Amino acid sequence: MKLELGFIEIKDIQFSNECKVENGTLFVDAEAVKAFVYEDDDVKAYVKSACFDIAKPGESVRITPVKDVIEPRVKVEGPGGQFPGVIAKVDTVGSGRTHVLRGMAIVTAGKIVGFQEGIIDMSGPGAEYTPFSKLNNLVMVCEPVEGVHQHDYERAVRIAGLRAATFVGELGRNVTPDEVQSFETYGIKEGIEKFPTLPRVAYVHMLQSQGLLHDTYVYGVDAKRTLTTILYPTETMDGAIISGNCVSACDKNTTYHHQNNPVVADLFEQHGKTLNYVCNIITNENVYLADKQRSSDWSAKLCRLLDLDGVIVSQEGFGNPDTDLIMNTKKIEQMGVKTTIITDEYAGQDGKSQSLADADPLADAVVTGGNANEVIVLPPMEKVIGTLNYVDVIAGGHAGSLREDGSIEAELQVITGATNEMGFNRLSAR
Amino acid sequence: MKNGHDFLIITNNPLVERCLGEYYSVEMFEEASYRDILVKVRDLVYASHTLYTHPLSGSVKPNETPYKSVVVSKVPHTFDPGEAEIIAYCIEAFDKFKPRGITLTDPVKRDFQLIDYTLICGAVDFDAAAGLSKIK
Amino acid sequence: MSYRVVHYINQFFANIGGEEMAHVAPELREGFVGPGLAFNQSWKGEAEIVATVVCGDSHFAEHEKEAQEQILAWVKELNPDLFIAGPAFNAGRYGYACATIANAVKEQLGIKVLTGMYEENPGADLKDKILIVPTANSAAGMRKAAPAMAKLALKLMKGEKLGASCEDNYMPNGIRVNFFEKERGSKRAVKMLLNKLADKPFVTEYPMPSFDRVAPNPAVKDLSKATIALCTSGGIVPKGNPDHIESSSASHYGEYSIAGVEALCEATHETAHGGYDPVYANADANRVLPVDVMREFEREGKIGKLHDLFYTTVGNGTAVASAKKFAAEYAQKLLQAGVNAVIMTST
Repeated sequence: MKLELGFIEIKDIQFSNECKVENGTLFVDAEAVKAFVYEDDDVKAYVKSACFDIAKPGESVRITPVKDVIEPRVKVEGPGGQFPGVIAKVDTVGSGRTHVLRGMAIVTAGKIVGFQEGIIDMSGPGAEYTPFSKLNNLVMVCEPVEGVHQHDYERAVRIAGLRAATFVGELGRNVTPDEVQSFETYGIKEGIEKFPTLPRVAYVHMLQSQGLLHDTYVYGVDAKRTLTTILYPTETMDGAIISGNCVSACDKNTTYHHQNNPVVADLFEQHGKTLNYVCNIITNENVYLADKQRSSDWSAKLCRLLDLDGVIVSQEGFGNPDTDLIMNTKKIEQMGVKTTIITDEYAGQDGKSQSLADADPLADAVVTGGNANEVIVLPPMEKVIGTLNYVDVIAGGHAGSLREDGSIEAELQVITGATNEMGFNRLSAR
Repeated sequence: MKNGHDFLIITNNPLVERCLGEYYSVEMFEEASYRDILVKVRDLVYASHTLYTHPLSGSVKPNETPYKSVVVSKVPHTFDPGEAEIIAYCIEAFDKFKPRGITLTDPVKRDFQLIDYTLICGAVDFDAAAGLSKIK
Repeated sequence: MSYRVVHYINQFFANIGGEEMAHVAPELREGFVGPGLAFNQSWKGEAEIVATVVCGDSHFAEHEKEAQEQILAWVKELNPDLFIAGPAFNAGRYGYACATIANAVKEQLGIKVLTGMYEENPGADLKDKILIVPTANSAAGMRKAAPAMAKLALKLMKGEKLGASCEDNYMPNGIRVNFFEKERGSKRAVKMLLNKLADKPFVTEYPMPSFDRVAPNPAVKDLSKATIALCTSGGIVPKGNPDHIESSSASHYGEYSIAGVEALCEATHETAHGGYDPVYANADANRVLPVDVMREFEREGKIGKLHDLFYTTVGNGTAVASAKKFAAEYAQKLLQAGVNAVIMTST
């Protein structure tokens, strides 16, 4: 399956009374985006208000609490559309051509529950830790209708973000991209014939799937209801997987992370050179132990069935997923398939505790995204998009985290994407 | 298949007791802390009860939420060292988080209860939303 | 004003002699001796070795307590900004001495310390307690080791924040420190996997906690005919601790008879362990070494016999290598005595 991505560089966003992309600037009419977002019944029923703001790299701006980050894209050729099974119909994506508004994102923010997490600082020390400080962000701050159930509201805000991204992505349909790249993986036999000497490598992509505020959707299906299965890597790149995960800001995979999965990108970079990138294996992180056993058994089984030589395994979240990570790794290694895993660490504020909630000697090749418990001080910002009301309550914050001058002393956990477990960042620990 | 008849939910979450008490055996420890629940579960696992759900369910950190529910078997089956290892790791993981010195407001408490409740519903295949609508 | 440093070296690096001179007692010399020159050169006047302690490796090993006391007294008097020892490369006793004396200076005098040695040097067992710079396995590596140690030493003296072990070049000490790598994690993962696939060396960024797992032996078929021994790392010893088992970092184990003893009691037994509150173990040592219950089982015929001897040491900070050595030794004694199974209690 072959996918072409046409990248349109977005260097600036401006509010305007029209909507267009011109010379690297996105002009956007907030009312028009809002109108499109509100065409959805759930949004209409549960989202009281949606306000837009713009945050640019280097500005003294803090966005919090962040729910999701989404890159606007549009399908210009081939089957399917953006976010299949959720926004577009469920047709298989991952082929044809998709335009990407690169350098920007839609950020959804606002309270979902009373401990809503996630901070994006656009400048200062905090900006070093989040990849989203480097993007021009169109921020949509939502508020719930009074008395709405949290699960209804979470779904509505999730859809609202995806709809906003779809609307903005559409503006790139007829723009000539600055750069076009193509990505292709092959059928089993075809791949072996093409690269007879290269090691066969896949990506075991673990998806957060524990419940409310902890979910991931694949073609619109709740991942906790799925069996371990196979995707073309280009499907992931084309919006097949979206995030419904609002907890553990530092190591949750936003929709942006799924669209720009760095493991997929870096495996593609070596594809046909040093390795044969076969496929992605997606597997879940359920709470029920028998589900864990089944899912990890299936990961290992598929690795064997596909005659793989090696896999990269990435996880998402804290605690419970460590067990899935170790189960997957151990069973895949026992099948004779070599593994490298990506995780982050909760080693305590002093860095002295055991980093994971599970361990096995077969997990001998680990890449880490850093210790999420490390304490950081974020200086005050001139402008806050969203609200600072929840800073004391969120994970990694403590009583008095939010100081009078607006600065925040908290663990790295509070920063969206800081210790990403797909290996999105350069942060590490030893 | 999951056998709900063998489920025993160890919890300190009143919402779990209210919504699930009718359908499953629920042992409610109102005064117990998150850690107390883990220790009770550990003792049951040591006494050969099957551990059905991961004790660190949810990415909400253990020093963040006061609520915890874990499903074990109602009766002892066979001792499983793997399960004993999981619960031991979980207690160790709990202990590395610093207490945060926060008094939670009632709405925040209710949200934490809700998250814990939905996580356990997902695990036992119970319709969380339906359970909530019944009590309101 | 430059920082003041005291340096520790052995007889070999002081040019006194090799193994034949390893017995020499500690001696304090003014200024630098031998490899100290290389440190001074690296520091370019920002720091300087004011005195050098020279001690024979055998002497330190055989008279550890006395040697340590003497050296601590000198260092206390000199009150330097840093105490640096070695580098010891792969010299086992030298490495042990460097690490041990550096740890003592740090613990007892509160002075910053640093040493350097090869990663497999037994002295490196203390890497979680003191900073150790990894070096080559022979003195041929001095040209690299000295500047590396000097650099970290200066950073310590200046009170700068310590970076991650790979940034500041010390052996991983169990404290995880964040830093920014040159490449993003996914790229590092792909590289690591390619190396692993090609059987090339790779370094994990997070070594799994090492478990020295022991596969259990098959179950004892008939307990009622078995001889069972009690062993402990909980430090239970006859009253007065006749063999002076240390309260931490034990250097030996004890073998004691419980023939005819119905139960341990306050008058006869106590714990030598310094790592837990001893009150309850001293009041009733059966709590750690359950002689009383074993006698009950013996009477009821649940077990054949309780072995007449028990083996004991203190687990508090005792090196794994030492513990292995103790057990290997007394396991042979247990085998010879026809013991079928052991209950090992810890605290």
